Amino acid sequence: MVYHVCWGMSDADQRGDAEPHAHHDHDHEHGVEGPGYATPQAAIEEAEREETAYVMGLYAGTDVAAPDFLAVVDLDPDSDTYAEVVERLEMPNRGDELHHFGWNACSSSCHVEGLERRHLLIPGQRSSRIHVVDTADRRDPEFETVVEPDEVYEHDLSAPHTVHCIPDGEILISMLGDANGDLPGGFLELNDDFEVEGRWDTPGDIEMNYDFWYQPRQNVMLSTEWAAPRTYYPGFDLEDVEAGNYGQRLNFWDWEAGEVVQTIDLGEEGMIPLEARFLHTPESTHGYVGAALSSNIIHFHEENDRYLAEPVIEFDDREHPDWDMPVPALVTDILVSMDDRYLFGSNWLHGEVWMYDVSDPSNPRKADSISIGGYFGDIQEVQGRELVAGPQMLQLSLDGERLYWTTSLFSSWDEQFFPEEGERGSVMLKADVNPRRGTMSLDEEFLVDFGEMPEGPARAHEIRWPDGDCTSDVWQ
Amino acid sequence: MTEPDAEESAPDGDESATAHRVTLAWRDGRTERVAVAADETVLDAAERAGVGLPFGCETGACATCTARLLSGNLDHLRPPRALKERHREQGYVLPCIATPTTDCRLEVGSAVAGDLVSNPWK
Repeated sequence: MVYHVCWGMSDADQRGDAEPHAHHDHDHEHGVEGPGYATPQAAIEEAEREETAYVMGLYAGTDVAAPDFLAVVDLDPDSDTYAEVVERLEMPNRGDELHHFGWNACSSSCHVEGLERRHLLIPGQRSSRIHVVDTADRRDPEFETVVEPDEVYEHDLSAPHTVHCIPDGEILISMLGDANGDLPGGFLELNDDFEVEGRWDTPGDIEMNYDFWYQPRQNVMLSTEWAAPRTYYPGFDLEDVEAGNYGQRLNFWDWEAGEVVQTIDLGEEGMIPLEARFLHTPESTHGYVGAALSSNIIHFHEENDRYLAEPVIEFDDREHPDWDMPVPALVTDILVSMDDRYLFGSNWLHGEVWMYDVSDPSNPRKADSISIGGYFGDIQEVQGRELVAGPQMLQLSLDGERLYWTTSLFSSWDEQFFPEEGERGSVMLKADVNPRRGTMSLDEEFLVDFGEMPEGPARAHEIRWPDGDCTSDVWQ
Repeated sequence: MTEPDAEESAPDGDESATAHRVTLAWRDGRTERVAVAADETVLDAAERAGVGLPFGCETGACATCTARLLSGNLDHLRPPRALKERHREQGYVLPCIATPTTDCRLEVGSAVAGDLVSNPWK
């Protein structure tokens, strides 16, 4: 294996520079000019503090008759507009439900000269439309092209979710349904010109789909399971759980061959396995999945050519005076710090963000947590802004010192569990993390209020940095 | 789709034999009336008239546009997969794939979709 040294561009190099990534015309000192960083440690060392965040803002499922938008949030503490949405790129249509999104390239393409981490692929979860946005000017992103739903339905797929780049410049998107919003889901591949290349998987290889992560050096990809779009789109119905309409399996793929080689049924301990995170070090077969409904963290790793998976963190239900039944924690997002030392997660219903020491991956040890928002959070307002939902989508700075989160899960599910989220809008919050001490504390100076958007209160979902982050970078 | 062409809007007085008048009623008391042509969906007619209804997939899978039929009749042009039997029995319909067969009155707005499911533990 040859280790190339890649170059990561900083906000400071780029901000206010409308020239699209002009550095690529220059000689530079590090060798190969692919996107990203040579190693996870290089990402930590070379990345400067994030000064810009891209955040999904949405109106789908509300009476605000406006399109969803890509929000550009100013994270430069020295700026006059710190912690404000400084730009909104409205989608061309209403009703998309922007949700997760990703880059055209990451550190896995570190060896591909000329490729840049520059285009965001922003799917509409409900519309099945895929927007491609050029971030050459970081603070003023613009549309490159839009893949319309019919081009997606042609491949009998719908409901795009997770976007990961493939190491040679192509893009893979997990699709949760067929053209009718039923099962099976699959994977859609786009080429480096953002044209639909076709279906990556063999139809029927999996039934349900959700998130995925690949670890190319181990020739493995993991995909998880939510449900058929027609099942989860309208909201969460216990009848569907009883009918077996929700997922509980991990699908391990031969990455090169694009075939499922092992399926692990997690049973009741792994109901609705959502976010899938391998450790960042390309040598590792270890990783975690958050089983949202069971509120367990599943640890997986390979032993004797087979993957094993078992719960390693279990969050207990809690009694609430206003609820007939105990309230599950609902672990809706997890992420692994770039140094693979900590697993962070959010318990959306309980109202808790937490960090566990995973330096021994099979035996996580609780480091710290913040009790905030949700049904049990100790902190229920920030700067006088009432928190009307729990912590949800997380993003961590590359150096592991700042954790940010938003509070919306999915429009119809928000309506069931935190109905005020749609009326008041989401917030984006931040905690300062001390990775040396294993502690975190809420930064009360930081609040981005999506309730104050010009078209009306908006939900906010996934967060990304321009220079890569802990939930998108993969190494060859 | 976000900027309906006003010139194309069917006027209220459109008496074309195949058009049906659909009254859209929000829970806050607001109402709008749109003319829906034969085989046109209620959502398309509303968009054409510049009336903003919530919607998502436009294929009957997601229920974002859910409305309740208060009077009249309409047909779904493809299966309303997002609705369960109990929802259909209660009169819930999906304007993104539904076309009226008579003049209709529909309860609309994002709150209607919230009727389909509740917090199962509370």
